[in-house]
Amino acid sequence: MDKKILPGEPINEVEALQRLQQQEDPSQRCYAAWWLGRMRSQHPEVIPLLLKALEIKPTATEAAIAVARSAARSLGKLHAKTALAPLIQALLHPDHGLREAAARSLGELGDSKAIKPLMERLLLPGADEPVGNGLHLGEPCEALLEAIGQICITIKFETNQDFQQPLERFLQNKRPVVASAASRALLQISGNPKWAEPMLALLEHPQLQMRRAALMDLGACGWRPAAEAISCCLAENSLKLIALRNLVEQPLISSGSISLGAREQQLLALMDKLL
Amino acid sequence: MNLLKDLLLAVQTAATADSLVDATRDLAAICSDLPANSSDQLTAINCLIELLSANNPGAAVAAVDGLIACKTAAVQPILNNLDEHNYGARAWAVRALAQIGDPRGLAVLQRAIEQDIGPSVRRAAAMGLGRIELAELSPEEKLETMEICLAGLKLGCADGEWIVRYAAVVGLENFSRNSSNSFAQACLRLLQARSQEAIEETPVVRLRAAQALAAFS
Repeated sequence: MDKKILPGEPINEVEALQRLQQQEDPSQRCYAAWWLGRMRSQHPEVIPLLLKALEIKPTATEAAIAVARSAARSLGKLHAKTALAPLIQALLHPDHGLREAAARSLGELGDSKAIKPLMERLLLPGADEPVGNGLHLGEPCEALLEAIGQICITIKFETNQDFQQPLERFLQNKRPVVASAASRALLQISGNPKWAEPMLALLEHPQLQMRRAALMDLGACGWRPAAEAISCCLAENSLKLIALRNLVEQPLISSGSISLGAREQQLLALMDKLL
Repeated sequence: MNLLKDLLLAVQTAATADSLVDATRDLAAICSDLPANSSDQLTAINCLIELLSANNPGAAVAAVDGLIACKTAAVQPILNNLDEHNYGARAWAVRALAQIGDPRGLAVLQRAIEQDIGPSVRRAAAMGLGRIELAELSPEEKLETMEICLAGLKLGCADGEWIVRYAAVVGLENFSRNSSNSFAQACLRLLQARSQEAIEETPVVRLRAAQALAAFS
């Protein structure tokens, strides 16, 4: 390995694999793990190497934890099915950042077997209370909620009241990102319009950042009734177009493949006006 | 006209970003009501053009709306003030010209679709190339203009960003409406390609192309 090349400079797949494999320099491993995920590498050695990097002890060093977080994120990007059990295991690690990365990647895998362990973590006592210097909550609630919602959307979960109720208390969370993640997950789980209302209200929030987040959330949910409100929201047309594209391509309530029906024609007309 | 003076003064003395947005909106709202090509309107248009360089997106959006409302009266002032060294201002000017559809803006749109680094600017240019007003051109000018438009739309169809390809499809749909047979055939082929999964990876672009093709026949 050429030590003169610094992280951030262009590398190729072979070199990335070498950097991930070596044990001397953890920052190089971290970068290589990120790079392979980012490049959607299909090399057969990638996933086994990432899984090895993810497998760390609760007492692991800061440096090893940083590599594991990077590996966890890339396994999600690569949709590595074999990472399901190791990522669920990583939800138990004492490091908050690793649990957060594992939760997000479980969301990307979309396997319903992850719902129970994600819920268990979310419903731990103190999960939604600030800890330490107040930077984090006890658990990475936003990531856990998003993952649960995303899995439900992928597997088209049936409406389940028992399953929704425990999530409702997160709607009252003092952190707007957690409250938004809760309404988004509830909408994805149930398809019930009442859960879209908090997000629709945020489209008129005085802060641009909140309006942007709300329109991306509604887009990610595929909540088609929000299309008109999205198209009039005071935000960049580029973001509104991305959200509307999601509504066209991934409607929450859909009947199979997308065709050019009356509602699709309306959605396309809204997009045309934003060009 | 005292109202205009007040509005220009409000723009010049705006102390905060928000008050500049408000002042720009007020000025933009009256600009198209001023007598066309009067010196008052030209003063207002030039002020709106200056606001494109103010590094205030809210004000720029309002200024672009005001310029579009003035239609062809805004075209020459925009072209006279194109700022080569201010990327943001140039991007807003492309948006205004794309919406107005005056043939004098063609060269700016052509250059934007060919080499602008901002996807949202290429998006606006692609849409604009489909709606250049051809009615007042001589037959030779019309032919030349249409060739440039079609070449630009073809580039837009091959762009790396889905939204530029989407805009090019919308552009082609509009362009084909007032095209003679050979241009219409070229549009048809480009739209057919965009509707195919093997060529176009983004579902919403394929859907929009299918919609355009349905309107074609």
